[in-house]
Amino acid sequence: MPTALRAIGLRKAFGDHLAADDIHLTVPAGSFYGLVGPNGAGKTTTLAMAVGLLRPDAGRAEIFGVDVWRDTVRAKALIGVLPDGNALPERLTGREVLTYLGLLRGLEPDVVAERTDELLRVLELHTAERTLVIEYSTGMRKKIGLAVALLHAPRLLVLDEPFEAVDPVSAATIRTILRRFADGGGSVIISSHVMALVEQLCDHVGVISDGRVVAAGPLAEVRGTGSLEDAFVGLVGARTTGTEGLAWLTS
Amino acid sequence: MAHLLTPGPAALARHLIGMRLALMRNSLRGDNASNLYTGVSLGLILALGTIAVAVLWPAQLPLALAAWLSGWIFGPLLVGGSEALRPEYFAMLPAPPGRIAAGLLAGAFAGPVPAVNLVALLSLPVYGWRFGPAGVLIGLVAAVTTLITLVMISRVIVALVGLFVRSRATAVAVGVLTGTAIALCSNGWAPAVALGVSDPAAWSQRLLRALPSGWGVAAVEAPWPLGLAILAAGVGVIALLLAAWARLLSRRVVSAARGGVPSRRGTPRPFPVTSGARVAAAKELRAWWRDLVRIQLLAVAFSFAVVTPLLLGTIGVWAVVPFTGLIAIVMAAASSANLYGADGTALWLTLMTPGAERADVRGRQLAWLLVVGPAATVLSLGGTLVSGQSWAWPWVLGLLPALLGGGAGLIVLLAVTSLVPGTDPHKRGGNPLSTGADETAETSLAWLVLLAVPATALPAAGAILLHPWAGVATGVLTGALCAWGFGAIAYRRLERHGIDLLSLMKHGPPPETGKPAVADLPVRHRIGVTICYSLAWLPLFPQGLVPMVMKILGISDPVWFLALHLPPIWQWPTIIFMIATGLLMYGYAILIPIRLGSSSPAPTDSRGPG
Repeated sequence: MPTALRAIGLRKAFGDHLAADDIHLTVPAGSFYGLVGPNGAGKTTTLAMAVGLLRPDAGRAEIFGVDVWRDTVRAKALIGVLPDGNALPERLTGREVLTYLGLLRGLEPDVVAERTDELLRVLELHTAERTLVIEYSTGMRKKIGLAVALLHAPRLLVLDEPFEAVDPVSAATIRTILRRFADGGGSVIISSHVMALVEQLCDHVGVISDGRVVAAGPLAEVRGTGSLEDAFVGLVGARTTGTEGLAWLTS
Repeated sequence: MAHLLTPGPAALARHLIGMRLALMRNSLRGDNASNLYTGVSLGLILALGTIAVAVLWPAQLPLALAAWLSGWIFGPLLVGGSEALRPEYFAMLPAPPGRIAAGLLAGAFAGPVPAVNLVALLSLPVYGWRFGPAGVLIGLVAAVTTLITLVMISRVIVALVGLFVRSRATAVAVGVLTGTAIALCSNGWAPAVALGVSDPAAWSQRLLRALPSGWGVAAVEAPWPLGLAILAAGVGVIALLLAAWARLLSRRVVSAARGGVPSRRGTPRPFPVTSGARVAAAKELRAWWRDLVRIQLLAVAFSFAVVTPLLLGTIGVWAVVPFTGLIAIVMAAASSANLYGADGTALWLTLMTPGAERADVRGRQLAWLLVVGPAATVLSLGGTLVSGQSWAWPWVLGLLPALLGGGAGLIVLLAVTSLVPGTDPHKRGGNPLSTGADETAETSLAWLVLLAVPATALPAAGAILLHPWAGVATGVLTGALCAWGFGAIAYRRLERHGIDLLSLMKHGPPPETGKPAVADLPVRHRIGVTICYSLAWLPLFPQGLVPMVMKILGISDPVWFLALHLPPIWQWPTIIFMIATGLLMYGYAILIPIRLGSSSPAPTDSRGPG
């Protein structure tokens, strides 16, 4: 089976903190891949290195066989990315952001206009025509980021926490869009810490903890007989707390 | 069940002081620590200088103290006034606004700047020594009340800016005020000479005592009952300022921060259908029009350029008027040197779009030329026409294209080579004029532009000296070469090292840079380098190159140029000595960090993502 994305020994340290330690991941083409892990496990760092937004200390990444760090331009043409927490062209409206990026990518003007219109309408951003991106709410920022990732019809979508802070109705819309994209032969990678969502959407999962991949493969294999949540808690070695202490809260 | 008791004023103040000190301790790593030590050493030199003024030239003490006041007023307007303790942090604290304001004020004193200023204000009791023990006592009390007043004024201004700079008009107003103030600071001596400040009885001396910074001097000089009354009035003013500040703060925490976006807007014009650099320029022009920080900085540049020649006009020197537009170009370049830093991590989109680096750099150059060029050209042509200084035509026509091209080239080059990371626009706090960037680094970047842009016009200036009209051709040629060449270096660098710039903005500097930085130097050299950077322009430009040009042109009016006041035989040696001194100072400031920086271990910074 061809691979959409392959990470080989990715490593990144910030000072003394090893954010990613020898990460190996294989995302089959046409799969809907969920990357899960506790807060601070290294999901964002891994994805940023895999798409070429963060230079790894060691290791490499390939997108459809194209080396991200050697053949950067060709790799970039194949993917759509939604990073977590990055700025956008803040002084443009949503429509202007999509128009600008479409024209910058060299798409035909009428194609840009048509896609911009559809994306804004489907993601329900068309009512905020006069609002600059800097004034958007967190959920609206996620949606315009997703529109940016979709605009040039990439073959692989890499989305960091696409459902965070998005309202339930919009989340349902985004799920439908991503399912349709995957069913049409596209590949999707999302990171999340909402296990139910990953279980519902993804056919493959990778579990990252403390900068290492502790489990990866088809969903059924990773979760075994129980739920993904139970498998996750078992894998990352965490013990749920909250029953001890805090006596003053109920006195 | 809920805990209803809030801490009393004293306890709250103590906690906020503790928090401020903890914030400072945690930020004192690597470059920040070195910048702080450099700043404090410089500040202490200035503070001791102020005390020296009180001892040696007591008549000038009100003027020196007024300089400290202007620092408290215009510092936050120019560099954003970093608020370590943001009022928003305490919005949910169940305490009345006045008590929180008093606590925040206490926290505001727990820093190096007020301490340094207090040293400077010890000049008041030193000055009071001339008036006997009562003078010393009144001076001591006045030092404390003056310090509180200055800090309060600064805080009120930051609060006012945060609340009311919400439109282009107010941003321009603040910019014009700041630009005028800088012009007054650098050339205010001209109208002062015209009005006669040297006469102690003149109203200007009274004006300096009427400023909040001069109340202490007035109190020390007055008979003691009147002196006590002045001190009491000062305490009353502090109470008023505190009340005003408390009200402003309580309004600020409930008004949404808008990130410096102008308030009133119609439906935006449709985006032009084009591609490459032109579409990037269209994006950039919208940013110029919709970002209050950029609008304010442009207003500073142009108002400084317009006011400076007018100030010199008060003593009958009109020779600077033709160069109004040229000054505006250099100032506008200095305030646009951190283009990528100001946009923050939005750089990722340029990096993820194949081939967009070139379009983005060229687009930014084009937009800058469109924003600055027409106005600067109109000012240059109009200024030369109106002032009737027809000798200036070849200079204006030759230097205008040279500086425009040099500016357009250097701003993108420096934006990618000397990026100063700030806070991403959508995460900035309540002050719409702050980019959250390190002020010391941003200021030194601006100084670098102020030097480098005129340097790109040197070939044109040389050609004009040879033949007036050869300069025009040279100016057009070097301008085009600079804009094209520096832009090409900039986008190539962005293609290769764009990822590193993005990492710098997201995660801070990498731990193993061999990059020479002023901050890595031993303190002795760091102070020397800072002083040289700040003062070298004085011998090089106004005391060296300008009198040289005047002598070549045969203008005999000596104005304030030392060389032209001397007997003719000493004039050329003095000019050459001044130019040499300036160049040596710049050479030291630039070369020492390069020589020492490569061998010293860089500080580590371990900020990582979640």
